[in-house]
Amino acid sequence: MQPQTIWQRMLSIDRRWLYAILFVNIVVFLLSPVRLRAPISPPVQKFYDEIESLRPGDLVMISSNWSASTLAENQPQLEAVLKHLMRKGVHFTFISIEAQSRDISLRLAKRLTEEAGYEYGKQWAHFGFVPNLIVAIKGMVNDLPATIKQDVTGTPIQQLPVTKGVKSLKDYKMVIDITPSGTVPIWISYSPKEVRILYCPTSVMAAEAYTYLDSGQVKGMITGAKGAQEYEQLLGITGLGAPFANAISFSHVLIIFFILLGNFALLMQRLHERREG
Amino acid sequence: MKVDALFEWMATGSRCGWAAYQHAQDNWFAAIMIGLIVTAVLVNIFRARAGKQLYIRRIPGLDAIDEAIGRSTELGRPVTMITGLTAFGVVAVQALTIFKYITKQIARFATPMRLLTGDPTVFAVAQEAISDAYNEAGRPDLYDPDNVRFLSDRQFAFASGVAGLIQRERVAANFMFGEFFAESLIFAETGNMVGAIQIAGTVSFTQVPFFVAACDYTIIGDEFYATSAYLSREPVLLGSLVGQDIAKFLFALTAVTGVIASSIVGTKHPFIKLLGQPGGWSEFVNFLLGGK
Amino acid sequence: MEAIIPHLIAQNIWQLPEANRTVYATLVVLGAFVLVLGLIPVLQALPPRGRRAIVVTVTFLAGLLFAAEFFLPVDWRAIFPKDDPTRNFLTPAIQPAQNVLQTIGALALGLGTYGLVRLHLRNVVQRRTQWGYSVVLLIAFLTMATFSIANTLAERQLLKLEGTPQRVLERGFTILFDYTLVQLDAAMFSLIAFYIFSAAYRAFRIRSIEASILMFTAMVVMIGVVPLGAYISYQLLGLPQGPAPEGAGLGTQILHSIDLPDIANWILFTLNAPAQRAIEFGVGIGGLAMAIRLWLSLERGVT
Repeated sequence: MQPQTIWQRMLSIDRRWLYAILFVNIVVFLLSPVRLRAPISPPVQKFYDEIESLRPGDLVMISSNWSASTLAENQPQLEAVLKHLMRKGVHFTFISIEAQSRDISLRLAKRLTEEAGYEYGKQWAHFGFVPNLIVAIKGMVNDLPATIKQDVTGTPIQQLPVTKGVKSLKDYKMVIDITPSGTVPIWISYSPKEVRILYCPTSVMAAEAYTYLDSGQVKGMITGAKGAQEYEQLLGITGLGAPFANAISFSHVLIIFFILLGNFALLMQRLHERREG
Repeated sequence: MKVDALFEWMATGSRCGWAAYQHAQDNWFAAIMIGLIVTAVLVNIFRARAGKQLYIRRIPGLDAIDEAIGRSTELGRPVTMITGLTAFGVVAVQALTIFKYITKQIARFATPMRLLTGDPTVFAVAQEAISDAYNEAGRPDLYDPDNVRFLSDRQFAFASGVAGLIQRERVAANFMFGEFFAESLIFAETGNMVGAIQIAGTVSFTQVPFFVAACDYTIIGDEFYATSAYLSREPVLLGSLVGQDIAKFLFALTAVTGVIASSIVGTKHPFIKLLGQPGGWSEFVNFLLGGK
Repeated sequence: MEAIIPHLIAQNIWQLPEANRTVYATLVVLGAFVLVLGLIPVLQALPPRGRRAIVVTVTFLAGLLFAAEFFLPVDWRAIFPKDDPTRNFLTPAIQPAQNVLQTIGALALGLGTYGLVRLHLRNVVQRRTQWGYSVVLLIAFLTMATFSIANTLAERQLLKLEGTPQRVLERGFTILFDYTLVQLDAAMFSLIAFYIFSAAYRAFRIRSIEASILMFTAMVVMIGVVPLGAYISYQLLGLPQGPAPEGAGLGTQILHSIDLPDIANWILFTLNAPAQRAIEFGVGIGGLAMAIRLWLSLERGVT
């Protein structure tokens, strides 16, 4: 058997080396103090402008459907959005489609609202989780108190000051869907047309939202941790988004470098083969 | 009912206040389009049933199914079929139809197989479908219910279960058909690591790049629905496919008409609203009746 | 007749009356039991043709509910002024129908879990290859199920624990859920980053013109959407940021639109979105055609 050329070895490099290099790259740039300023993309700017247009006391539904697996992308989004809502004095309620999402969003919201002096029941509430989002949205449009019945503390939602007098999802100004799964088309299809929809997907899922952004069915979007970094910049705060986006940014560079390297090796191998005849 | 009342009723859009198209009355134009699509599909199904010869173009990924099965048979290693987390519905039924075809092929060579699903309802139907496939292939003795497995309905628990099975059993061919999410690349890259021939077909737009990068063949978009027609050449399915193409032409025609018309009359014109907005029908009928 | 229809429209005929609700509910459940239990021997006794006819009819009627609910007009006030314009008489039936589907799903979950446990028990009993993994699965399954059920019962005050058992439950559940399951989930998701790297390295090779275009576009988007794209465009290359001023010359306009973030956004909105829309049209039509074939029992795949 002929010995492999260096180019052949590069082309068939053991993937474990690639993984090790990526791991080191992520750790270094996650911890590095270097912070690049992100350009504000149009969907993030629109998201920000939509929330800016809200008035104190307006009601927003946050659909938080992420769990630990996508924490790196969805937590910075939720934190930034909550900080903005609280800065504007906007009231909000949470809903989730599974138990783990409920627990995580509840814990996170409790911490952030305590920091901002927001009072549970008066300015925000958590409706817990619903097993079927379509049925829940349809129900909330017709009769919200009958569909949700009670919040996570077991209090009937008509007795909560924040949702007193709320009869339908139509009484909300906005729905913010923070999710790694394809729930946004469900919100678009079933929520009232006067309620604006904002979207916080993971980077993987963002590509499918551009059609809805283009048609105006989704008013704004924060894409993954990188979008959260842009949002933090708009708010003038330092959050989780910046270090995560930093690591993502340099990982992209690393991937591009290796793609170019692979292509260079391919080219050199072809030249080598041509020379060898 | 008076004629005036009929017109009034026709001009009334749904006042339910729900978004988009909760009911046909929100914009009758959309309902008419659905009616046209259904008619196109049904007419062509009956034409095909009546013996009309219909053409279907080559789909290389599907031609490779037999090659992948052959390789599994040669190596004596199993074939995996993954529906992912696809919930029970048309996508799952289509995926199972494809897997039933594959199972019939592998039953001829007694090649081992594993069907893995993350949805319990799909699991129940898959057991029946695979059992039927072995029966139809004349090898009911080869059917083992343990080969159709529900692993977990948690996304990444399911992903780790599938990845573990692919690694442990060193599968030779991996077929992934259905709806996939972030776990798609875990399946495809693990399959690649063990050197399996991989064919994926999905309606999930966001997962296509991952399958294209890691699989040998990828079936995209409505090709997924064409698969069963391509494999079985059943007249009903071929006819339906022709109907779908006519429907696509209708969509393209609507889009082009909309582009030209909105360039001429502007996007606020009732005709443009008719083509694509809730309440568009009412505005258009009012416009026709009163010239508003 | 004129009086009955408005009454039916005004009354929610899909909900049991408030008075004697328990009695009605019991009757409905018993009726369903009798119907299902009675149907099994009937189906078994029938020849395949007859059995198929029943399946076809039930499938058609079930599908008809959803189709009719969508197509029937909801606003009948032109004829019945007192009508509720938000729904037709089938709309309230949709939620109960969805509930039935969810109940079937829950039953299937039991079936799936039974299948999983049976398979792994057999692996252990028959000492099949790698049966150790099955032992791990069974132990993990039993432990997690015990703690989860106990925790849910305790949350709902159906299980009253105090002192050490309560602490064991709380601590055990935290260890299993927060420190194990959640971390394993996160670890699996993060694997995708590594797999993307190896797949991209392997797949993005300039083998044809199409592959080259794909690679070049991917690289522009990857750099354009992260802060580094802005740094390269505005700091290193000194390109002007933001839209060109009104009345600017062609050269200025070009300079304002060739920065990486702008090009990346243009690709996402102008190339990606329409391509996706076209694919979704195809998928939607394919799904509709498949649904029609299933509804009318024209499909002979797995049905």
